[in-house]
Parts: sequence; structure tokens; C-alpha cells
Amino acid sequence: MTIILDPTASLVHDIADPGPPAGDLQGRKIAIRIDMLWRSWDWVSEIWAERLRAEGAEVTFWRSCGRTGEEGEQADREYQALLAQSDMAIVGLGNCGSCTSWTIADALTAAATGMPTIAVATAHFEGLARNLAKRGGRSGLRLHILPYPLDILPKEQVHDIARNHYRSFLRDFGVRSGLAEQSAA
Amino acid sequence: MAQGWGDGLPLIPPTQARVQDFLIAGGRFPDELIAVLPPLRAECTVEKIAINAVMAGCTGESMPLLCAAIEAMADPKFDLAGLNATTGSVVPALIVNGQIRNRLDIPCQAGCLGGVAGPAVAIGRAIRLIMRNVAGQLIGATSQSVYGTPGRVAGILFGEWEERSPWAPLAERRGVQGDAVTAYGAMGTANICDVVANSADGFLDMIAKSMAYPGANGFLPSSAFAETLCVINPIWAEVIARAYPRMEDVQAYIWDKCALPIDWFRPEYRDPIGNLGRIKPDGRVHLVPSPDDVLVMVAGGEGGLHAAMLHSWGTCLTVTRPVASA
Repeated sequence: MTIILDPTASLVHDIADPGPPAGDLQGRKIAIRIDMLWRSWDWVSEIWAERLRAEGAEVTFWRSCGRTGEEGEQADREYQALLAQSDMAIVGLGNCGSCTSWTIADALTAAATGMPTIAVATAHFEGLARNLAKRGGRSGLRLHILPYPLDILPKEQVHDIARNHYRSFLRDFGVRSGLAEQSAA
Repeated sequence: MAQGWGDGLPLIPPTQARVQDFLIAGGRFPDELIAVLPPLRAECTVEKIAINAVMAGCTGESMPLLCAAIEAMADPKFDLAGLNATTGSVVPALIVNGQIRNRLDIPCQAGCLGGVAGPAVAIGRAIRLIMRNVAGQLIGATSQSVYGTPGRVAGILFGEWEERSPWAPLAERRGVQGDAVTAYGAMGTANICDVVANSADGFLDMIAKSMAYPGANGFLPSSAFAETLCVINPIWAEVIARAYPRMEDVQAYIWDKCALPIDWFRPEYRDPIGNLGRIKPDGRVHLVPSPDDVLVMVAGGEGGLHAAMLHSWGTCLTVTRPVASA
């Protein structure tokens, strides 16, 4: 009998649980991971940060830049330090192939600490984001999806999208607040 | 192929007997872990390499090169996780130095970037099958590449024509002597033709200025840093080396001329580029941050007339690894 060997490799062990919900925002320290690619994510996260602060949270931004070589090692140290002083993490933006890869990788790093974590991606890259989360061993990773294309829109339009998505974002993040529990307009 | 294991071309069935023969010829233990490959974050063992290499049509003698290439690509500096998922049309180019070029018949002369019949095609294809089957790089599922590239089928695997290079071999300049493989994230290959120049400065001007196009990876404000690679044919190399016997001077010349004035970019690009500190006092933006980031090597046919440029991808940093003896 001829035996054919399998050239593929297996998925790692999967965690389907989304992890802890964000819960109450009052007094909580929230890390928002932004990047150097997407101005639209800067615009969305500045609106969200404003609202999160209004709900009593303390928000810190961290911008992901070069992630290879010495600069990458420094970035990893900075990110770990940020997570160490935060209670929860919002990680974005998955809006291309490689940046979705890094977004999910950084979200998985945050989720692995046990903190409430949510990754943010645009609709075109949702499949990739979910696939990478699953392949990274955490298919249940919380994910919020923004419309696509996003980065070619003017600032005011992106701000409107940020405002319109805020409630559903809170729900995806598991935030416990009156605003999150209201149905979307 | 019905299992989704293939690339669309016919495959050699990886029977247990064929894989065992390959492993014996390759001289490695099958359960030895070579690397963990993203995006699947899967363990790439010697056995998985052997199975895919058999499917691609490799012989066991290629095992040390395959293992070294996988190790190089799995180095975190190479950012394989991003590279395998990107919208870009990138594929790792593998450059071979040392006598192993001759033992494995890796092309470094005419047609070296594609079209030479020989074992390199199967070796390159084996690497691509490993990316597909072990790393899990699949168009639509993980890879978001908008266009892809022909190099994603049989790879880009070529050697440096060290015997015709006036300078030290690329791998040696990168700290590895003898048999070595260098993994470089290449956004395809593009040609630079010059039928007029007859001097070192003339050839280098044409190479450097051709490499400086605004959509090249190094100019993207999304890349904090980048590298670039140019391949010079042996005829031009001989002329260039008479004027610039030190490779550092060749790199410095190309780096200096490989630039665009910031005014050349539309206004909305100026802040993002300026924020990276990339605008020099003279108002120019160089493709890559420093001369060290210009990789230069000698390969190609004696017909001269052409050089090749391989632009990098993202902040993928080139990695060179020694190739162990079989």
C-alpha cells in the first residue's frame, strides 16, 4: 500500500472565549494602539477617546511604527510597558494585509495578559482578521468592524462614522454602560 | 490538489518511500524543528520540508539550503507574518553564495532571475509550497496580495556570480562566509536598461535614478525604514569597480543619487514623509535611510546593457544564514 504524507501543518490550540468584557469604564486605564499608516484610525480613535474619557476612563495612545530590527525590539518593549500599566486594550487598525497581521498580533499579545481586548478592522479585512485570530489560537478575539473603504474618506465623514459606530463598538467590547445598552440609532 | 495542497501545477505524490529517501539524502532528523511559520504559526519540521520538497520535485541534496532559507525567513527581522498577509506583491528572494551554487546548479549568470532550466526551479517551488502548506499563506484566506507575483509560484532563487564580482560576496559582506543564503523581501524584479553609459558614474546614475520612483517601498510614509537591492551585470560591475573598488563607495553613490526632491511629491505627502525625518536639508528624500541599506550584488549575463532592481517590502529586513554541509 502506498502511503501519501500530509504536507500541511495543524492549527494551534484554539481559545473560542472572547475573554473578559470591558465592563465599567469609570476609572479604568485604556490603551489605544494606533499606527503610522491610517489617518482614518487616528480620526476614529480620537473621537472614541473623547467619549471614553467622558465616561470616566483614562486613555493612553501608543503608535506602532517600525516593527523589525532594533526599532521593532524597542517597539515591543514600549508596547509591553503600555499593557503593563493598562486595564484594557483597543488595537487597530486592520486595513491592509500586513497591518491586519500586526493588529491581530498585538491584540493577541494584549489578550494573552487576560485584559479585555478588542481589535478593530475594516470590513474588507474582517475575514483576514478573524482567520489570523483563529490561527493565532484565539478565534474568540473581540473584533469591531468599521466600513471599507475608510482611509480615502474626508475627516468629517470619518468622524461621523466614528460617532455612529461608538455604541456598537462598546457592545462588542463588552462595556457595561447605559449608552452601550441603548440600541443603535 | 483536491486536498488544497498544491499551486495548480502537477505535483509529485509525497509517498512515504520518496520522503524517506529524501530525508536520508538530506541527512537531517525528520522531527527536527526548523522554525515556526506565520500566519499559521505552525511548526515547520524537517519532515514537512521534505514532504513539500518531494512534491516540488527537489532532490535530497537541497535539504540544507531549504532549511537555511526557512530559518532566514522565520527570523523576526524578516517580518514573515506581515509579508505573508500583505496587500503587496512581495515574495522572498533567496540569494545563494558559496560553492553550494555550483553543487545545486543555482543560476547566477544569464537568465538567473527566471527561465534557466535546473534544480533551482524545484527548490524555489518547494519554498513556496512550504509557505502555502505549512505557513498557511493562501490568497483570499490569509494573503491579501492585490496582484501577487509570478515569483510566488517557483520563488526567486538565484546566486551571486562571485567569480565575476570585483567585490566580496554579498553574504560575506553581511558576515557569513562560504555557503550562505540571503532572504530578501522583494516586490518583484524590474529591469534597468542603458545603451549609452560607458563609465562607472554613468551606469550608477542610471541605476540609482531608475530605482527612485515615488511608489517604491522606501518612499512610502508607512515604512519607517526600508532597504533596496540592485543586481549589476558583470560587464558593468567591472567598469564600476575600476572607479569604485570599495563596495561602500558604490553603495554611497547609489544612495546619494537614489532620491527625489520633496517638492516632487504632492503637498499631502510632505507632512507624513517629513514626520519620519526623511527630508534632508537639501530638500531631497532618499529611497532608503542610509548607504548601508543599499544592497548590491553581481549576477546576470555577459550581454551587459541591463541591471535589475528589486525593491523591498515594508520594514522587512534582509537576513543571511549559513548553509550547513549535508
